[in-house]
Amino acid sequence: MVHEALIGLVFLPLLGACLAVLPGRFGTRLAIVVGLASLPFLLLPVTLSVLREGAWFYTLGGWSAPLGIRLYVDPLALLMLWMVALIGGLAAAHAWHDFRPGTAAGERFWPLWLLLTAAMNGLFLSADLFNLYVCLELVTLAAIPLIAMAGSATAVRAAMRYLLLALLASLAYLLGVALLYNSSGTLDLYLLPDALATAPAPVTAFALALIGTGLLLKGAVFPLHVWLPQAHASAPGPVSAVLSALVVKTAIYLLYRVGLWSLPAGLLADGAMLLFAVLGAGALIYGGVLALLQDRLKLVIAYSTVAQLGYLLLALPLASLAAWQALTYQMLSHGLAKAAMFLAAANILHAIGSDRLSDLERLDQRTPLSLFALAVAGVSIMGLPPSGGFLAKWLLLEAAWRGGQWGLLSVLILGSLLAAAYVFRVLAAALRREDPSEAEDAEGISAIGRRQATYAMLLALLALVTGFAAAPILELMATGIPPTWGAA
Amino acid sequence: MIEIAIDLIIAMGVVGLALQTILGASVFRAILMFIVFGLLMAMAWARLHAPDLALAEAAIGAGITGALLLVTWRRLQAMDGRTPRVGIAARAPWLSIASGIFAAALIVALGWVSLSLPAEPAAAGELAWQRLPEVGVSNPVTGVLLAFRAYDTLMEMGVLLAAWLGARAVASELRPGALPGPAHAEVPLVGALLSLVVPISLLVAVYLLQAGGSAPGGAFQGGAVLAAGGVLLCLSGRLEAAERSSITERIGLVLGLAVFSCIGLVMLFMGEPMLAMPGVWAIYLVETALLLSIALTLVLLFAAAPGLRRAP
Repeated sequence: MVHEALIGLVFLPLLGACLAVLPGRFGTRLAIVVGLASLPFLLLPVTLSVLREGAWFYTLGGWSAPLGIRLYVDPLALLMLWMVALIGGLAAAHAWHDFRPGTAAGERFWPLWLLLTAAMNGLFLSADLFNLYVCLELVTLAAIPLIAMAGSATAVRAAMRYLLLALLASLAYLLGVALLYNSSGTLDLYLLPDALATAPAPVTAFALALIGTGLLLKGAVFPLHVWLPQAHASAPGPVSAVLSALVVKTAIYLLYRVGLWSLPAGLLADGAMLLFAVLGAGALIYGGVLALLQDRLKLVIAYSTVAQLGYLLLALPLASLAAWQALTYQMLSHGLAKAAMFLAAANILHAIGSDRLSDLERLDQRTPLSLFALAVAGVSIMGLPPSGGFLAKWLLLEAAWRGGQWGLLSVLILGSLLAAAYVFRVLAAALRREDPSEAEDAEGISAIGRRQATYAMLLALLALVTGFAAAPILELMATGIPPTWGAA
Repeated sequence: MIEIAIDLIIAMGVVGLALQTILGASVFRAILMFIVFGLLMAMAWARLHAPDLALAEAAIGAGITGALLLVTWRRLQAMDGRTPRVGIAARAPWLSIASGIFAAALIVALGWVSLSLPAEPAAAGELAWQRLPEVGVSNPVTGVLLAFRAYDTLMEMGVLLAAWLGARAVASELRPGALPGPAHAEVPLVGALLSLVVPISLLVAVYLLQAGGSAPGGAFQGGAVLAAGGVLLCLSGRLEAAERSSITERIGLVLGLAVFSCIGLVMLFMGEPMLAMPGVWAIYLVETALLLSIALTLVLLFAAAPGLRRAP
């Protein structure tokens, strides 16, 4: 039964996408139930099996690797799949009201959303470098039109720029994969370590450089982040949420997989890890400063994504259990908090018609619940207790302290201070009162608005809850530590 | 000797045409050069003993992509009455020089590391030859695409569907102008030509599909050829853009993905591995569905319309 559940994670959203293309409101609703609402129920048995028996492979078509393609589910993949199911699910619930099934906009929106979900699930499960390329392409090509659906010229231009850079990144990745295949004879991630041990070193180095550059560009890692802020800020709210919480993480996830799983131990020189850390530090500071300078709420949140992605690279040179737990926890807590922030920002934009910081005064009366969600998610982004973000950053600090990495330690503290500054700047703008005599009644918020605010609040609460319900997740992650780090 | 001469001509031609494409004085000229470049690339693939790639390059790289670029150029002209006359390289010289240097460095590095590549064929490729008889087809490319790595092909159908959905989403935001009709609507020879060429494109598509089992061919090449017939019908004004897609068109668009997934899932629930093919008939069934979806998607992309209908 657990095999069927695993296959369903990819194929139910895929069939849902087919169903949503067919005309009629009913088909789309059924597609959403089949393709999105089913995911947590499919994930339960898979999670239980990993808890009981550890990570396992599934061979597609009965053609064993290296000839065929395998799927692989381990704690890291599970974490990402749960994020797709929960964050994607709540964002979809939010999108339901803006892109109602049966309307023209809904007809265009849901097939792409379902394809995006299928592609992300496929990517997190795939154990094959070329198949990962196809999944990465599908993620990109399904995500980009969703940005353009915001309807503004800015959104279309941002989507186009994202498309061109993402295609460049894909080609670099593909060229690297072709070289790796030619020198090692396999595309399977988990057969590569042995196969690469005897492969010529210059080919491997060049191929890894190409793959790395492609993934850093897709993952919007500083200084290759130029496409991200406009694309994430101009997309419709729920799309911004999954773009920041999930889509950029697909590239970072792949970077981990290739760098930490599929290379022989000791192949990736310390220099490469140090480069990642420097890029991460650059992202943290540059993104933080730029977020502080923006005058639109969604751009602040988008630059905050640039900064927070830095944490995901910063701890790579530490190569310790604490660092691994911190990285994966940052993955989760940033995903939850950032999705909550983007959904809340969408609600605010919807309610007051602008997201300029100068227009946000008296938000505590105009959109109280959304502002509260924004603040709670902000607590996690800043890394204040008792949030998930606090735990991730605390683990990072601890790992840096133990490793004696003082430079890293100071960058971490600076990053958190910057995050605090830009979050408080937004909150200060939202709580401002221009004119004390102004009427202080809550403006009429529709029932739909209240429901959409609830989804943002739920995500923000989840970001908070991960702060004190962390033990089981961290334990599971400890069992999924990369093989190249487990020995260290 | 003569073979070396042919290879040299192809190699120089490819580089020359690539340069012409980039430096072309107008967008139109650049597109034409790109199409010829695609045809020459197809010859290069044929010389490299990759006939399947050669077919795909000619049909999709040169044919369909060329048609898409040309129709886009025509739409741009119809929209603002003029196209940029300046060469692509002249508008952003520093960017061009930087990317040129980058590309050159990439090529040099690629050439350098290629020298140290092992000469023997890769392990997975050897295995594919050995286990091909188990699939039941004798064309190894079809074996890889529909059996060994069927999952890739299936996901690529998802990519194609996403491309169409994406084009539709962007089109509904940007509302590009309608395709300008043919200048000379009813030249008598057009009808005669179509009545010959369109059935032949269908015949060639079916042949390519059937031949794919044992010789170069398959759903992607066949789909592109069938799409060429549809493109001709659009160009000559026999088919025109419709406001909405009909239910037949929608079923056609998802047919490949749906049939492929459903066969895979049926096998899974019968206790076989996911995407195991129950026989050669299933491979042909899936390929037929893929061919129809590919052809329809490409024609709809060309027409930049949700659907098509017969012109009155």
